[in-house]
Amino acid sequence: MAEESYLTDDFLRQLMNVGEVDILVGLPTHNNAKTVGSIVHTIQSGILRGFPRERAVIINADGGSRDGTPELVTGVSIDDVRPASNLQALRTLHSISTKYASSPRSASGAFRTILAAAELLRPKACVVMSPESANIQPEWLSKLLRPIFDEGFDLVTPIYRRHKFQGLLITNLLYPMTRALYGLRIREAYSPEFGFSGRLGSQFLGQNVWNDETEGAGVELRFTLAAITGKYRICQSFLGDKDRIERPAIDLVPALRQTAGALFSALEPDFPVWSVVTGSQPATATGSDQEVLLKALRVNRKRLREMFLAGIAELESVFQSILSPSTLAELQSMAHLGEEEFRYPAELWVRTVYEFAASYQKSVISRDHIIQALAPLFRGRMFTFLTENRNVSAGDVEKNIEDLCLEFERLKPYLLQLWKTRE
Amino acid sequence: MPLNRDVLWYKDAIIYQVHVRAFHDSNGDGIGDFQGLEGKLDYLEELGINAIWLMPFFPSPLRDDGYDIADYNAVHSSYGTLEDFRKFLGSAHDRGIRVIIELVSNHTSDQHPWFQESRSSQDNPRRDWYVWSDTDTRYKGVRIIFLDTETSNWAWDPISKSFYWHRFFSHQPDLNYDNPAVREQMWNVMKFWLEMGVDAFRLDAVPYLVEREGTNCENLPETHDVLKELRRKLDEHFPGRMLLAEANQWPADLRPYFGDGDEFHMAFHFPLMPRMFMGLKLEDRKPITEILQQTPEIPPSCQWSLFLRNHDELTLEMVTDMERDYMYDMYAGSKTMRLNLGIRRRLAPLLDNDRRRIELMNGMLMSLPGTPIIYYGDEIGMGDNINLGDRNGVRTPMQWNGGGNGGFSTAALERLYAHLIEDPVYGYPAVNVLRQKASEHSLLNWMQSIVAVRKSTAVFGRGSIEFLYPANHRILAYVRRLGNEVVLVVNNLSSTAQAVELDLRRYKGNILIEMFGKNIFPRVGDLPYLLTMGPYQFYWFRLRLI
Repeated sequence: MAEESYLTDDFLRQLMNVGEVDILVGLPTHNNAKTVGSIVHTIQSGILRGFPRERAVIINADGGSRDGTPELVTGVSIDDVRPASNLQALRTLHSISTKYASSPRSASGAFRTILAAAELLRPKACVVMSPESANIQPEWLSKLLRPIFDEGFDLVTPIYRRHKFQGLLITNLLYPMTRALYGLRIREAYSPEFGFSGRLGSQFLGQNVWNDETEGAGVELRFTLAAITGKYRICQSFLGDKDRIERPAIDLVPALRQTAGALFSALEPDFPVWSVVTGSQPATATGSDQEVLLKALRVNRKRLREMFLAGIAELESVFQSILSPSTLAELQSMAHLGEEEFRYPAELWVRTVYEFAASYQKSVISRDHIIQALAPLFRGRMFTFLTENRNVSAGDVEKNIEDLCLEFERLKPYLLQLWKTRE
Repeated sequence: MPLNRDVLWYKDAIIYQVHVRAFHDSNGDGIGDFQGLEGKLDYLEELGINAIWLMPFFPSPLRDDGYDIADYNAVHSSYGTLEDFRKFLGSAHDRGIRVIIELVSNHTSDQHPWFQESRSSQDNPRRDWYVWSDTDTRYKGVRIIFLDTETSNWAWDPISKSFYWHRFFSHQPDLNYDNPAVREQMWNVMKFWLEMGVDAFRLDAVPYLVEREGTNCENLPETHDVLKELRRKLDEHFPGRMLLAEANQWPADLRPYFGDGDEFHMAFHFPLMPRMFMGLKLEDRKPITEILQQTPEIPPSCQWSLFLRNHDELTLEMVTDMERDYMYDMYAGSKTMRLNLGIRRRLAPLLDNDRRRIELMNGMLMSLPGTPIIYYGDEIGMGDNINLGDRNGVRTPMQWNGGGNGGFSTAALERLYAHLIEDPVYGYPAVNVLRQKASEHSLLNWMQSIVAVRKSTAVFGRGSIEFLYPANHRILAYVRRLGNEVVLVVNNLSSTAQAVELDLRRYKGNILIEMFGKNIFPRVGDLPYLLTMGPYQFYWFRLRLI
């Protein structure tokens, strides 16, 4: 039976009216009324400044907001932008909105809708923008789109200037592991803002990632990985400051599903690629190098350690299914260390992650339980990272991240060994 | 066909712009003349136009193609005699064709006897007929129009050892309209031609008649006073005659030239023209609807004059810098195509000789509110010669047939005032009247049919306009209405097929009748009216409640 279309008739009618475009800006939203208005303004400014002659459309894929977000997106007028900025629109700038199928089983609906729109409107370059970035700048559009438009790149991932304690999941897991496995140093392989070519979008839309057991979690990461494995041209573009978005600790598990879960689930289909990669190469980058910000930031490290200890105590049977005895023993012995002595060493952390990845493939227990079990351990690693980098320079923070990356690369044979024993 | 007596005749007119020099040479001297033009009136009548606008044909040193007049009350000897003109005028009127001539009122040639007298001494009675100054610092900051050739609006006169004011070329000194004698003399010039039977004047460069310190010397109240005085005299002595303003200004600045219906009858809508080209290239109606939204209402007796191309460059003065850059990049890739702030090209080459685009642009020209002007040769898709200097590349001889000199003249090639277009695409062997007359689907025959359809209703010349804004921005749609007569115009600005849904609920129950083929389209119902349109296609529908 043919798969049911996930685009509504009304959305198709809107796309028909827009017609072929040069630039497509995707804006996934869900109850973002507080920020989305100013973000659309900024996007429009970015289009007028960077691409005044190109045909452009803003596609808002909304997950069923109840705060008027879609109306805000479509209601923002180009004329609101023009007087203040002395900008001029040569042509019609469209903003259209659609509600994507939003259920717990379709976390990727927004991105899929944006890709489908791109498939129909055939843009030369697309960009996805976050509805939450408090400090988005009009220049971001050019920075993410120009390499595609002018230089033929297929994927442009951002580099942000972050606080040294922001994005720990990226610096401690996603970046080093992606780099070690796929051989390309992409700092933000999973980002709320990125640019891509129409051909990459089209190729990915046809991949079987939308209805698999990950339920689309972290599909943007899968997108980056697809670009790497498909040998598309990738570059990184420095955007500047990334304001820290406060998230309660409870958000860690969903975040792990979208990052570690998505990465682990990609390893099996991508095995022919990553299994033969050794070392890593820098990715092309435009703009300044990233650097971390060092301003004081209050973080409750004590709570992180407590959650680690609780996890070790409560999830022992789960860990026995996932981890090797030696790794588990080391973790359990760590639990006896006082706060001052507590350290989660890089080598142990890498082994932990690789064993989780292999277990994920073996499906020793429910894959979602595996991801949930990683959460307390990651908190332990966070505690260590925060401690080790509390009073060091920006250069030292970068060096510590680099050391961790090298550890992931060094221990990659261990992951391959685990993979083989799986068979 | 006698002339109709309607004093608002210009609202229903379709004007054909021609330079007598370029149309047809009757005496074999290589230069077009009035006898030649008269001999081609049948052609123009067949085309369907009902007014001719003649470019300057007065005695002149021809340093600006006749816009440098040396005698207002005579005909340049190359073009014939006053008697020839009179005869041409009578023949045109016999065919129901009115004649509009130029009144270059702002300036004369420096060879005009008035200027020769004026410069001869400070005490000459005509000294004050021009704008003189001991310094070149007066009216500082006033823009220079011919940027490519002039560096100042003042020129030094070595004879009278002072500076004279000129807004255009330095050989075109501006008349001094603060002098009542000048105003009176200009009215005498008008009277001379009006008494002969001329129907209208195109007043050249009207914003610049009067100068005042501390202003930009454009559109000044004193200029309007001068023009109103001329209009009052015209209405008093020659009712039913018409004044057409050439004022290359923004719509809001143009509006005062209509006054309360007591200044100009018509004015060119300069800002619209480049935006039609822009809309076509962008495949977006925005530039067109935007400028028409900014166009103010004009008195009921007044009318806009619309054109696609004319004898000048495609002027880009009334666009923003960004729009100008875009137009240059899209329509004038080679720098030799650019002149002053514009593009010196004809319609067909501008549109890559794409018949569909040429038809669409003419369709809009004929259906937007105003009186359309067709530039000679554009009805057959003539090309241009960008290797000729100034604007001469768009002023080459009319191409009548594929024979010697394109049927324009029997003179030897070297005696022609300008060479004909000879390239393989636009040259006279390929593009000429004779050939197109013989081909049922030629551009000429198509132009003839659209002119006929335009003339079949007064709604295009006199009706109101209401824009529809379908969600598909590539579609420019509007409703023209005059009394009970309603016409729907739908233009696809895109190079690809488009579907469009039009909200026609207020016309529910009407049947759409396509005006060219007279075919019936489905009745308007409650649902949006769906049309599918081919690339650059346009429809004119008459709405009938039957």
